[in-house]
Parts: sequence; C-alpha cells; structure tokens
Amino acid sequence: MAQYSAEVDGVFVALADPTRREVIRRLGRGPTSVGELATKSPMTLPSFMKHIRTLESNGLIRTVKVGRVRTCVLNRERLAVVDDWLAEQRRIWEDRTDRLERLVTEPLEES
Amino acid sequence: MSSRRFDPELDLTVERIIRAPRATVWRAWTDPERFAQWWLPAPTVCRVERLEVRPGGALVTQMSDDGARFVPHLDALILLADELERIVFTNALDSNWRPADPQPIAMTAEMTFADHSDGTDYRVVVRHGDPASRARHAELGFADGWGSVTKQLAAVAEAEAAR
Repeated sequence: MAQYSAEVDGVFVALADPTRREVIRRLGRGPTSVGELATKSPMTLPSFMKHIRTLESNGLIRTVKVGRVRTCVLNRERLAVVDDWLAEQRRIWEDRTDRLERLVTEPLEES
Repeated sequence: MSSRRFDPELDLTVERIIRAPRATVWRAWTDPERFAQWWLPAPTVCRVERLEVRPGGALVTQMSDDGARFVPHLDALILLADELERIVFTNALDSNWRPADPQPIAMTAEMTFADHSDGTDYRVVVRHGDPASRARHAELGFADGWGSVTKQLAAVAEAEAAR
C-alpha cells in the first residue's frame, strides 16, 4: 500500500499542472508527436520538454522516438490508479474473496 | 449482520456463497499459514507477521515481489472477533493501537460468516474514510476534465481491443 501511495502521489504531482493536463487530454485522443503537442503551447520547446519528462518519469506517458520524431503515448493503466478509487478497492476485495473461495473449495488444499 | 449505515459513495460490500463449511472458511481467515495463501494476489508473496483474531489483536502483513525482500503491506487492529461469526478490523489504528494515516485510504472491514444450505454465506462490508486523493482531486480543479479524459481513454482502449 505504501508503494501504491507513492504511485498515486506521482500521478497527482504530474497532473498538478495545466500544461501537463492538456497534454494528457490531447493524448487521450491518440498518440501525438512532441512537436505537434508543443505547437499548442505558448512556452519554449525546452520548457515544454520538461513537462513531457515529468509525465514520462511518473509513468503517465511513454515516448517513442522514430527517426527524428518523438511520439507520446498515454499510459492508460497508470491513469487507472486515480480513476476510481472505490472501484479499485471493490476489485481488490472481490479478487481476495475469489482466492479465499478457491482455497477452501479445492480439496487438495484442505489436507 | 450490521445495522451501521452504509454509504454507497464510500463503502463497498462483497457477498459470496462459498461451497465449504463455515469452520473451513473461518480457518482460512484465522490460520496465518492459510491466510497468507489468499490475502494477496500471486505472484506477490504475503507474509503474516501477526494475526491475533481477538478484540485488540494485531493484523500485520508484509508483501514481497521476489519472496526475499519484504515490505509492509497492512498494519491493522482487530476490533471485534466473534468465533465463527464475525471479524472486524481497521487500519485507522495500527497494531500498537496508535492512530494511523493508512494509504491509500483508511477503512474498517467487517467480515461475517453464516451457515448456508450450500456452505457458507460470507459477506464483507468495507467502510472507507473520505480519501485524501478525492479531496486533492477536487482541489486540483480538474474533476470535470478528468471525466472526459477517462471517456477518451476508454474509447481509445476499446478501439485498440477491437483491432
């Protein structure tokens, strides 16, 4: 759970900025090159790249370089960390109950 | 069963008829060796440090990805334990009865065990504190934008899955 917390913290830090949130929204529509993303932003490319790196280091996006073009891709699993905490907890308890059920209903386990 | 208020915004229930005798299900919950086998999903390895199923007893587990290096998982306090009937624990107090700030969220979990014609009627009610992440979410002011991003993401994922 401590690890989970650190992940959530990282995701929130990454998203606590309007430029980075705009990048996330844009990438929600599909992979986009850094150059194309940067043209929508008023800041310089080096400043913009810092935001891209923050998103990447917190696992919210991946970037892939092909030739001279670096393309950003959204990491959907990472976003699920903060998507719906209650659904996540429910899934944990459902899975836990599945495993408990399996343990007590498998004859070999009950020696 | 509990008569305490259930808040659908914060709480969850799991109900399951388990085809095994109540004593067997109870033992899977209260015997550390058995408990460790189901508490965490494989391949994560669970190690039960303390499992004292009595009021005021400890429930402490550790977890490991490689089976060698263990990190804390749960440090909780058993609030109630009625033999073969009910276990209630919380992580809002740790096993030393010290108020805790558990991550990702504070909860009280109540498990009830009842006889059923097919085995055991097993129910879990988990009541959560108001999560800090939700407060922060609202604070950051992107709750609305977030919903649309999630929808977009779902569309992207579904499109990918359909390929």
